This record gives sequence, structure tokens and C-alpha cells, in this order.
Amino acid sequence: MKFRRVVAGALCASVLLTMASACSTPQSSSNSKGNTQTTSASSEKVTLTFWNNYTNDSQHVMANIIKQWNTDNPNIQIDANSTENTAYKTKIKTAIAGNSAPDIIYSWAGGFTKTFVDAGKILPVDEYLNDGTKGKLLNGALTNITFNGKVYGLTYNQQAGALYVNNDLFKQNGVKIPTTFDELLTAVKTFKAKGITPMCVGEKDEWPGMWYYDMIALRSAGASACLDALNKKASYDQAPFTDAAQKLEDLVKAGAFSKDVLSVTRDDAVAQFTQGKIPMYFGGNFDAQLIDESLKGKVSAVKFPMISGGKGVSTEYLGGSADALLVSANTKYKDQAVKAIKYLAEKFSSAMYLTGGGLPEWKNDSLDQSKVDPLSKQIMDNIVNGSTGSVPAWDLYLTGDDAQTHHDLVQKLFGTTITPADYSKQMQQKINKS
Amino acid sequence: MDRLLSRKRTILLFILPTFILLTVIIVIPIFFSLHYSTLKWDGFSKEVFVGFENYKNLFVNNTDGFIQAVINSLVLALISVGIQIPFSLVLALTLARGIRGERFFRTVYFIPVIISTVVIGQLWMKIYNNDYGMLNTVLKAIGLGSLTDAWLADTKTALASVFVAMVWQYVGYYMLLLYAGAKSISPDIYEAARIDGAGEATMAFHITIPLMKPILAVCIVFAVTGSFKAFDLIYVMTNGGPLHSTEVPTTLMYTTIFTRYQYGYGSAMAIFIIIECLVFTLVINKLFSKNAVE
Repeated sequence: MKFRRVVAGALCASVLLTMASACSTPQSSSNSKGNTQTTSASSEKVTLTFWNNYTNDSQHVMANIIKQWNTDNPNIQIDANSTENTAYKTKIKTAIAGNSAPDIIYSWAGGFTKTFVDAGKILPVDEYLNDGTKGKLLNGALTNITFNGKVYGLTYNQQAGALYVNNDLFKQNGVKIPTTFDELLTAVKTFKAKGITPMCVGEKDEWPGMWYYDMIALRSAGASACLDALNKKASYDQAPFTDAAQKLEDLVKAGAFSKDVLSVTRDDAVAQFTQGKIPMYFGGNFDAQLIDESLKGKVSAVKFPMISGGKGVSTEYLGGSADALLVSANTKYKDQAVKAIKYLAEKFSSAMYLTGGGLPEWKNDSLDQSKVDPLSKQIMDNIVNGSTGSVPAWDLYLTGDDAQTHHDLVQKLFGTTITPADYSKQMQQKINKS
Repeated sequence: MDRLLSRKRTILLFILPTFILLTVIIVIPIFFSLHYSTLKWDGFSKEVFVGFENYKNLFVNNTDGFIQAVINSLVLALISVGIQIPFSLVLALTLARGIRGERFFRTVYFIPVIISTVVIGQLWMKIYNNDYGMLNTVLKAIGLGSLTDAWLADTKTALASVFVAMVWQYVGYYMLLLYAGAKSISPDIYEAARIDGAGEATMAFHITIPLMKPILAVCIVFAVTGSFKAFDLIYVMTNGGPLHSTEVPTTLMYTTIFTRYQYGYGSAMAIFIIIECLVFTLVINKLFSKNAVE
């Protein structure tokens, strides 16, 4: 009996302890924000921690650049730690929330970073950029990393959507590469009639299909109208957005995509295209390297077709800054960390452009243009250079919940379980007014 | 040894490591979740205490399909208990009779249990594939081409397709549990029954199954709670899609917390799943203990 009482006591104690610790966590997290004074002394040796998601092939390039920095700067060593993409999102969110963030943070520009900025966890870097750094950046490189008028990091890689067309399939079937949406529908119908699935998309993963919608919306509404809606300054429940939904539905109903489109992953979709079975694929520049490897010289990256009567112009593209380096507001070594991200961002930008892993954010005239991945160069030449505006893929702009809502609604368009009018209405209701 | 074990202090010493481990890894996080479930919190910003608001949102004017997800998991539980366990039981009793190749079949049926779920998911995704999948190929080959479908892409077939894979995966697990139960019944009883002129079926229904009640209860509890907790195979095969048609509470909880950043609301789902599992476990055990008295 005495034993039982001991166990009961232990249980009660553990419950009480748990409750006490559970209740105390929120306060501790809000307290520690204030007491982070910098104690930087540039002469002593410091080690900066740097977390990132560099686990694919591009990591090789990054690792070499970091190694180079460490050799050149014996007093500021970078200790880099890479985590797989999806796990990284969870890891970095948890670390930042718990005030255990690394000094240098890899992040996605736009909504993902905004959450951290709003919570006051990221260092604004404006005052560090007047040493000529701004002049080295391409136009718009800081747009997606600027919040409330302040710059919160440096970008080194941007995204651009491109319509990849398989020239061989177009030639063999006598189809014209579409420049207007009507031509696109004609191309879809012609291929379909010949038993070829005209386009592919990995709609199981949701975001690839969203790229299609966001691109069509950009052509239909124009960049400034899209940004206004994304910034909650204008409604989604407007004719151009509904038209865009209608256009996507037209594509689906014309049989542009295979029957199992809702269970195809993005990797499967790219694989279908690289096998040379599919004539058209709207994807990101990040698909360029893989496509170029498998279908060397057979593929062109062209602008997405224009919509007659649409408000968009042909010099606008879906994309913009995507990858960014941030400095934690809690770092002890602000100057050193900012110095490091300036170096890393510039080098990463060139290196990724050369390997076809990304599009540059920094001026790159000094690069040997013949060594650049040919499809990436096409995207840069055909789509990005001389552009008059860009809108990021909407899920980079909208934060977690809203991004997921947008994904879901676009998936319903692919599944034709929602009318274009309802789509716009629900976008407005759930995202802008919620 | 007996004297040693009868000392209370020794008992305490022996259970303490597990007790501490369970407390730290399971009990404490549950209380954390309980606390989170009363908050409106995105994981970073300041938490707002909202009381039972999150629980209310699960069922009143629910917009994210949680109720449908719960219904889906109940259907899965029903299939598990109604089809999976009887099927496993038949396999177990057949094997326990000592047929030829007993060990071979026992191993074969158990293989899906030890293979990683991701591999199983990939395997079934290939079977269901619209272009080159085995299912469609077979249907075409036997002249049933009209029945082919994009199984995992069609909202009408996706849920059933995933459930088939889930039931298939664990048949071997329950078979092994039941097989062990059947094997532990003393052969004397069968001998006596045989002398009294009992046939195979009579022995199965009047001796084997009644004596296996405790292990059957365990299997049913596992099957039901396993259905409520099911996550991995669905996550791999459909991730709750297409159009949320294969959503179960756990997949919904995952997206709510990790892509929608609604920690509070997601935690409320977690607590609901825990309570659901506890209640069903208690009810099932009660039912079986009542039967055992007879």
C-alpha cells in the first residue's frame, strides 16, 4: 500500500511539474527577446553558425564557397549545417521560435521569411548595404526581402516560370509554338487528337499546378493587380482572376493534362517531360538543368502565351527572388555575419547560375556566358532580362495558412469541382478577409 | 529472487527507468499538446488563449473537413475489424493446423509488416498507376478495360485504394499474433474433442476461437487504435488528396500544424485522437471482459 502511495505521489508530481513547465514556456520566449546585446569584437576569432537546406547537387558548389571563405577569413569561421528541404522548414521554424536560431539563416524570400520578420527575429540590414552592395545587385533583387520598408537579408537566386516546349514533338506534328492562349488551346487539341498528352503537371504536390494558375492570372490581370490582391489591397473576386480560373478550367476540359493528374508528383511530371513524351510543360527555371541533361538542344524555354484582352504584358514573368540569406536578430556577431552573407550571396548567385541551379540576383557580366547552362540562359534572355515586372509564385508571398488555401482552391480547379466564379469568391473570403 | 522482487523498493527501482522514459517522451508532450490546444498560435508569434474554441471549431461549422476525416478513419477501423482480422484469423487457424509449408507461409505473410511503409506505398502507387500500373494492365488483359481508372487520382476510388493497401500490409501482423495464440492452446483439448467426434469446423468455433479471446481482444484494440492513428501509408500514397478525399485526422493534423502553422488547432486534433483511442480501447476491453465471464 505504501508503495502505491509513492507511485501516486510521483505521478502527481510529474503532472504538476509538467503543467508548471508548460505554463512557463510562453513567458520565457517573449522575455528573452529583449536582452540580446551585441558584443562584437572584430579582432577575436568568431564562429558563425549557418543552417541551410543544401542537400542536393548544388550543395557541392556552396560547400566549396564556404570553404574558400573559411580559408580567406581565419578570424570569422563559418560552421555550416545542411538539412533536407522539408525537414529544414520544420527545423528552422522551431529553432527561430525557440530563440536558438543560427547566426546565418537560409530562408525563402517572401511569406516564409515574413513570419520571422514579424516576430522580430531577423536583423534588418539596410545600414550595411550602402557600401556599394546595392549597386552589385540586379534590379528587384531586394523586393521580396523588403518588409515594411526595411531590407531583411540578401537574395542570391531567383525563380522564373517558363513554358518548356519540346521542339521535336512540335515539328513532327506540325504544331505552331503558341504565343497566345487561343493558339495554346489549338495546340492542346491538335496533340490530343493525335493521342499525345499535351501538358504535364505534378498536381499531387499542389504547388506545381498553382504555378499554372498564377502564371495565367499574371497574363490576365497584370503584375500590379496581382500584387495588389496579394498585399490585400485589392480583391481576388475580380473579373481578371475569375477569367484566369476559367482559362485553366478550359485547359483541363480540353484534355491538356492526363487523367491521373491529381496523383502525379512533380518529379513524375518532370520525368514524363524529360522522356520526350509530353510536348509542353510550364515549370520553373529549377527544372532547366534536368531537362537540358535529358533532352539536350531539343527544348526551348519560351514566354507563357498572352491572353487577348488580358491586362498583362509580355515582359512580366512569374518568379522573382526566391532564396535568401538572413542574419538572426539574436546573433552576437552582427557585423561579421552581414559581411559573410554579402560574400556568400554574391558567390552563390554566380555559382548557381553557372551550374543551371538558379537564376542570378547579382550582376554577372564578368561570368563566361558560354559556360552558363543553356536553358537557364534562355530563360534569363527570353524572360527575365528587360522585364517590367514580376510576381512571385503566390505561395511564397502568402503565409502558411493562406498559401495552403490557395493550393487547395487551385487543385479544385484541376479537379473541376469548383466553378471559376466560386474560386475567386472563396479566395477573397478565405484569404483577404479572414 | 522471489524475496528480492517482493521488496517494494526493488520494484520501484525496476519500473523507474521505463516510467521516467515514458513520462518524458509521452506523458509530458501530451500535456504540452493539451496546453497548446487551448491557444491560437502560429508557432512564432505571441500565443492567444482561446479556451475551448479550437475544439469547438473541430465540430461546429467545421470548414477543413475534420468530420469527414474522422468518418474516414472510422470506416477504416470498421474494415480492419470486419475484414482484416477475420481474414488474418482464417490464415492463422489454417497455418496452425500444421499444413505443409507452415513456416514458409508464415514468413511470406509477415514480409509486408517488416518492409518500410514508404516502400509499400511506392509499390502500391505503381500497382495503381494509370499508365503502366499492374491493376489496369491486368484489367485490360482480361477484357475489363472499361473498368480501368486512375485509381489514386479519382476522388471516388482513392480512399478505397489506399485502404486496400493498408489492410494488406498488416494482415500478416495480426495473423502472427493469432497464430501464436492458436498454437498455445493445449493439444490435449483437441484430442479430447476428436475422440468425442468433433470436426475441424466445430473445433475451430467451439475450442480455438473462444480460447483465443484475450489475443483477439488485443488484435481488435490494435486494429481500431491503429486505424485512428494511421498516417504513414496515406501520407506517402496520396497525402490526403486528391481534393482531400483520403484525409484522416492525422494527415489533417499534419497539414494544419506544419503547412498551415495552426499549432493550437492542430494540437486540438491530436488531443481528440488520443481521447478517441482511449475511449475505444476501454470500450473494447469492457466488451471482451463481459464476454469472458460467461
